[in-house]
Amino acid sequence: MAFLARALRQSNSRLSSRCPAVAASCRWISPTAAAGSPEAGAAVAPADPELPPPREPVGGARVELPPNPEDALEVFVDGHAVRIPKGFTVLQACEVAGVDIPRFCYHSRLSIAGNCRMCLVEVEKSPKPVASCAMPALPGMKIKTNTPVAKKAREGVMEFLLMNHPLDCPICDQGGECDLQDQSMAFGADRGRFTEMKRSVVDKNLGPLVKTVMTRCIQCTRCVRFATEVAGVQDLGMLGRGSGEEIGTYVEKLMTSELSGNVIDICPVGALTSKPFAFKARNWELKGTETIDVTDAVGSNIRVDSRGPEVMRIVPRINEDINEEWISDKTRFCYDGLKRQRLNDPMIRGPDGRFKAVTWRDALAVVAEVLHQVKPEEITGVAGKLSDAESMMALKDFVNRMGSDKVLCEGNGPNPPADLRSNYLMNTGIAGLEKADVFLLVGTQPRVEAAMVNARIRKTVGATQAKVGYIGPPADLNYDHEHLGTGPETLVEIAEGRHPFCSVLQSAKNPVIIAGAGLFEREDQDALFSTIETVAKKFNVTRPDWNGLNVLLLHAAQAAALDLGLVANPAESIKSAKFLYLMGADDISLDKLPEDAFVVYQGHHGDKAVYRANVILPSSAFSEKEGTYENTEGCTQWTIPAVPTVGDARDDWKIIRALSEVAGAQLPYDSLSAVRDRISTVAPNLIHVDEKEPCTISAEVKPPVKQQVSSTPFKTVIENFYMTDAITRASKIMAQCSATLLKK
Amino acid sequence: MAFTMRAVKVPPNSASLEEARHRVFDFFKQACRSIPTVMEIYNLDDVVTPSQLRSTIAKEIRKNQNVTNPKVIDMLLFKGTEELNNIVEHAKQRHHVIGQYVIGQEGLVHELGSKDQGSSDFLKKFYTSNYF
Ligand code: SF4
Ligand code: FES
Repeated sequence: MAFLARALRQSNSRLSSRCPAVAASCRWISPTAAAGSPEAGAAVAPADPELPPPREPVGGARVELPPNPEDALEVFVDGHAVRIPKGFTVLQACEVAGVDIPRFCYHSRLSIAGNCRMCLVEVEKSPKPVASCAMPALPGMKIKTNTPVAKKAREGVMEFLLMNHPLDCPICDQGGECDLQDQSMAFGADRGRFTEMKRSVVDKNLGPLVKTVMTRCIQCTRCVRFATEVAGVQDLGMLGRGSGEEIGTYVEKLMTSELSGNVIDICPVGALTSKPFAFKARNWELKGTETIDVTDAVGSNIRVDSRGPEVMRIVPRINEDINEEWISDKTRFCYDGLKRQRLNDPMIRGPDGRFKAVTWRDALAVVAEVLHQVKPEEITGVAGKLSDAESMMALKDFVNRMGSDKVLCEGNGPNPPADLRSNYLMNTGIAGLEKADVFLLVGTQPRVEAAMVNARIRKTVGATQAKVGYIGPPADLNYDHEHLGTGPETLVEIAEGRHPFCSVLQSAKNPVIIAGAGLFEREDQDALFSTIETVAKKFNVTRPDWNGLNVLLLHAAQAAALDLGLVANPAESIKSAKFLYLMGADDISLDKLPEDAFVVYQGHHGDKAVYRANVILPSSAFSEKEGTYENTEGCTQWTIPAVPTVGDARDDWKIIRALSEVAGAQLPYDSLSAVRDRISTVAPNLIHVDEKEPCTISAEVKPPVKQQVSSTPFKTVIENFYMTDAITRASKIMAQCSATLLKK
Repeated sequence: MAFTMRAVKVPPNSASLEEARHRVFDFFKQACRSIPTVMEIYNLDDVVTPSQLRSTIAKEIRKNQNVTNPKVIDMLLFKGTEELNNIVEHAKQRHHVIGQYVIGQEGLVHELGSKDQGSSDFLKKFYTSNYF
């Protein structure tokens, strides 16, 4: 396919520009015949009598012109007129015209540095070629991207860059997806003239995630700009001048950002590569599967690269509404947890306390038999934080059919506000946070709870100087914020208008309140949420055109669980349970569980709850199954299986469906689509994939809350960013990260 | 026999379904003709009869009876010929042949279904694999 597309592109650029799917999936650099020969640049090219036909914008992008025609201008790219908004650079204008300009330092989400000079183009009436990424487009500019001067300039730049770049492509992990490799094939000269020694640079230690080979660095400073602008840590910088220039941490120090893995993607060469992935595979042997991440409630879009039955790495996919093009380190590096501690056979604990592997038939028969010996109200089902909607639906139906209504999802607390969707979702959406000008964070630390949401807040703060007020335990937020207090009394003060921050909220146009899902677990959560609502009403946070009252959920299963109504009270259900069905639930407290209770653990990892389990039923992890997940903003997405299941494991919903039959309460669905049909009768929004179902704004129907807020300060909800669930706890890389990177 | 077969080059694609169908019959006949040799080489007399082997061959061919694309039939024929060559050239051993063509793919354990009687299709498939 890729070969075909390449061939097509080279032979006929018209063809590939007409199929945007091809153009969007890969950035082609199209060499032209003349670029290959060194002499061509010097020769005066005859004027091209025939213009090539106009092209579609690069990557099928759409350009939105401002409504006011004064704010748009017209430039000519290779003879074709294009209209662009004011403030576009020459490079962006060329992209609109469908010409992909080679570049190293320019990155659309970072500030402009203009130091690699690869993007030189010719502009009429300017004496020298100009760096298009840093040059604003002016009305009537005549840009030429394909002239001998531009080609010669690119070739020269390539030669300078390759002067000090080692010739180690065969052992470089970037090989095959390296911008320098691609562009030197397309624009470089076919021979070198360099006979001196190359310079070499000492490698830096950036921690357990990023491997450095600093000799390969071409000083584009993308990584430095990423660290300061997006990740918000001033760890990386440029040291030295001239040929002594190097990238490094100023003092011997590790890179301590939760987004540090992204420098691997933005580094155009192999200077920064993934340490866990080093020398493990070459990228052309990998099969990519476009799926989503489940380690937090954001649902970042990822691509799982696998070779055979093994997940080799995880890289981000672009989704402007959710994760832009970044992912957190937990998302990127948790994959080695998928290979460790896996449960691969059904097991029953014998009288001696040891597990014995049995067949599915025997395991299900044992579970069904116990199930018939307990009273219906003693049956409890608990869904874990990584459960998909299908399995939660099956679990709920099954437990209900057995005559019990005690089915819950861990992390939802005793009485979650599950009646109205707007009460537990991020109503502005993640992208919508960019419109806000004041944030009030209540009992949430987005940096550890949802790193991508934090990156959005940071982006907004950086772009518009939005104010952030934070109520909670002392936290390390990587943007300017005001720490208002540690407990609910501060919130009450704001609600009563006694707090200095009120004036900030008062003057805000689009204020946003973000309440953490950690509040669900508190005793006084009803009172807290009603106080938060008072604040919201007082400062116009919820109004018909703007609903800025957000709840930031903690894990992937949470939103769907609330949609499906898995809301039993955990404390009571566990206390009275004689038969406990844990579907991947490891973080629920089992202290109160009666001694003689029978515990079935269905899950993919031998994690905490296995120690108490009587029967283990192995299930598949998110990389191995098709499942529906809803993220914190209410957007429904699917995981796609990338690798086969381990051992004798089965998909979660199938296990419950099979068990229901053995137990004599057969569930009425046999296929995934039938389960989804069933879901659509309960929560239709879970069927509309990749869509955000808007929630209707609540008309006031709530009974007044009698509860009082307690004075206990808010707690830190996530102690260790790197280890939050069964997969990350099994991961060795995550263990290394928590050992070295967490500040103690 | 083996040498003659090896000397034959890969034939050109069948032009029509008719031609492909014809080739399938030729192949079947060829396979049937080699049964006595195979019985001899692998000492199969006490485990199987020629007619059983013949019906196994027919069954293997019938597995693909829904294929209508002549190119695909050609490909399957090529694979079949290769397999036959391997058997006739003694590239396999006795247990290969017995395992694949005498006992069959299911192996020695035959689930008689007494345990699963009355259970749904779903459950039966569930017990065998996750992928259905
Ligand atoms: S390490 Fe990579 S991203 Fe950073 S300056 Fe060097 S080449 Fe650019
Ligand atoms: S991309 Fe323009 S100077 Fe680097």
